[in-house]
Amino acid sequence: MRKILRLTKREYKASVKTKGFIIGLILAPIFMSGGLIAFALLKDRVDTTDKKAAIVDRSGVVAEALVKAAEARNNTEIHDKTGKKVKPAYLFQVIEPDEEEPETQRLELSDRVRSSELHAFVEIGTDVVHPGEDPEASRIAYHARNAAMDDLRRWMGWPINNHLRRLRLADAGVDESAVSDLFYWVNVDGLGLISVDAETGEVKDAQRASEARAIGVPIIMMMLMFLMIMMSVPGMLHSVMEEKTQRIAEILLGSIKPFEFMMGKLLSGVAVSLTSSAVYVIGGIFVIRYMGLGEYIPYHILPWFFTYMLLAIIMLGAMSAALGSTCSEAKDAQSLTFTTILPAMIPMFTYFLVVKEPLSSFATWMSLFPPFTPLLMLLRQTTPAGIPSWQPCVGMLGVISFTILFVWAGGRIFRVAILMQGTPPKLTNMIRWALRG
Amino acid sequence: MNTVEIQNITKTFGKHTAVDNLSLTVPQGTVYGFIGPNGSGKTTTLRMIMNILYPDSGLIRVFGERLRKTCTDRIGYMPEERGLYRKMKVRELLQFYGELKSGGNLKSEVDLWLEKLDLADWANKKVETLSKGMSQKVQFIATVVSRPELVILDEPFTGLDPVNAEVIKDAVLELQAQGTTVIFSTHDMNVAERMCDFIFMIFKGKKVLDGTLISIQDGYGSDTIRIRTEDGAVALRNLNGVEKINDFGQLQELRMAPDCDPQEVLAAIMSRTRVRSFDIVKPSLHDIFLRIAGPEAKEEGNREQGAVTRG
Repeated sequence: MRKILRLTKREYKASVKTKGFIIGLILAPIFMSGGLIAFALLKDRVDTTDKKAAIVDRSGVVAEALVKAAEARNNTEIHDKTGKKVKPAYLFQVIEPDEEEPETQRLELSDRVRSSELHAFVEIGTDVVHPGEDPEASRIAYHARNAAMDDLRRWMGWPINNHLRRLRLADAGVDESAVSDLFYWVNVDGLGLISVDAETGEVKDAQRASEARAIGVPIIMMMLMFLMIMMSVPGMLHSVMEEKTQRIAEILLGSIKPFEFMMGKLLSGVAVSLTSSAVYVIGGIFVIRYMGLGEYIPYHILPWFFTYMLLAIIMLGAMSAALGSTCSEAKDAQSLTFTTILPAMIPMFTYFLVVKEPLSSFATWMSLFPPFTPLLMLLRQTTPAGIPSWQPCVGMLGVISFTILFVWAGGRIFRVAILMQGTPPKLTNMIRWALRG
Repeated sequence: MNTVEIQNITKTFGKHTAVDNLSLTVPQGTVYGFIGPNGSGKTTTLRMIMNILYPDSGLIRVFGERLRKTCTDRIGYMPEERGLYRKMKVRELLQFYGELKSGGNLKSEVDLWLEKLDLADWANKKVETLSKGMSQKVQFIATVVSRPELVILDEPFTGLDPVNAEVIKDAVLELQAQGTTVIFSTHDMNVAERMCDFIFMIFKGKKVLDGTLISIQDGYGSDTIRIRTEDGAVALRNLNGVEKINDFGQLQELRMAPDCDPQEVLAAIMSRTRVRSFDIVKPSLHDIFLRIAGPEAKEEGNREQGAVTRG
């Protein structure tokens, strides 16, 4: 044990006492949450250039209302309190439909969009007020360069449909002024479940379900775990490969057993991750409390977080070290790096399904598969859904079992491969070494 | 007492037998030289003594005990390929390697060795700044700093200039004087002849020589003439009774056939040129090495194999 700890200490110091570690500590979360930060910084950076669109109204009853709605918006919404323009104005040009040659008209309008004279053109179908059997006749077609992501298209849906409802009510003989709240929209509030306070016995009101608590907090916890795994596991593969190719491994093996060598590497990886995560968790708690959002911190999850992280790094680190020991060249290590991060990548591909339905069969089974458990079970535990209490316990048992298996098999592969030079890594060899030693 | 006892060990890698039924005894306090061509099994044998590789069969005893990992704490090992953490400072690195073996703080021992090998000024420099010779000296210190009772050096003099080679040689002999047993492998036959109490040669995994230099040479008899002449090797061609001429430029070694009279050879040479010096000597280790592992031995082996095939 003394030798393992001595090697761990060296590896830990070699990792932590570098500029790279400090810079990585700062940059890693920025890279990981780069999209969110960029979105927050740039969300007010809107293109305020006015958007001109042509309306070809075959129904003859919509265009005027749309123009009025746009004028109302341009007068009230596009400037902030200081008078600064913060949104583009929407300007509509009403064009008479060409009933003889509609295709030619569409082509001409498309060319005007291509030449940037127009931003878009809208075709309103003949039967839009009372849709009949022909869907084409009741369609509103919006043509633009990038129609799918177009703010103007999204905006016009509401005023057009409101106007159509009014027309339909008028046709039905209903006086709109008689029902003043006819178009009042009622939101459906998301609330948690009613519970009884264990100490006082009083019934507690349900808490309002916020997206931050339901999605934001679980994802942040999982991303932090993912970050810790990515910061230590792939590096272990390269570190072992370098020590093998630089013949340091042979010197060390003159003093320590291969298993001790591997364990020293694993423990240093754990120590480095604990250091990084402690910085993030303590720093995060401080910042969140300072911002007055302390209620969102899932303190009860933190022990699980650290336990899962420790086991995940030992489990995946053992695999990484074993794979590193089979590499004799940098290109071998590069091609195997993906394998080591796959157990962390797959949960990242599926997290949205899991966080949306944390109690679904898919989420349950995925989170009970040991290589995925640390990330996905943690994600499920952090959601307000409240998963059955046996599941984290079974998940933890699975992770512990897999960790022991990975360390055992990894140690056997490591022992054989670490002195083998010039033999490219092969799956069949690794299985043979793991089984036979 | 014997520091190392190897009994009938065999080690194979796939279909290749690297060490074949090898037995060897290394007495305490001696310098034991391992020689042999590349790929003959020297490094594999040393690694097995270090318990880095395990023999398929046979037994290795070190310090009188069956080999265990704890025994290796009493052994210093310098592999053929040097392995140093390039980003570490010299003193930190030596303390780390020493502490792995001994568990104690070796700061004073490290400083002593750095002083002794003229590296004190480099103690706080990173390993990556050292020259090749300096790195090799650092590697040597890493091997001996924990005061091991057995030191194993795989090619310790390779790549060293004469000054540094002399420094390492003196350090090895000093260790021996203090009672340390030293095993080293080398391709330099002169070093082996001058430094080793015992010489062991391995060829194709098998032991082919083992003993003191004198006992090995005695096995070949005084069949060599070492001669200097005015006309060099040209004057020595096609002499009756001479099997082989080894030309060193200024000096030639002639291997005589069995029952050949050296006086007759001398007379023949004197009839061709003026002789400056003439010695009847035992074959050098270099010559013995070549007789066992050189092209001549290979041809002989092929001839024998051909005869067996034809027979």
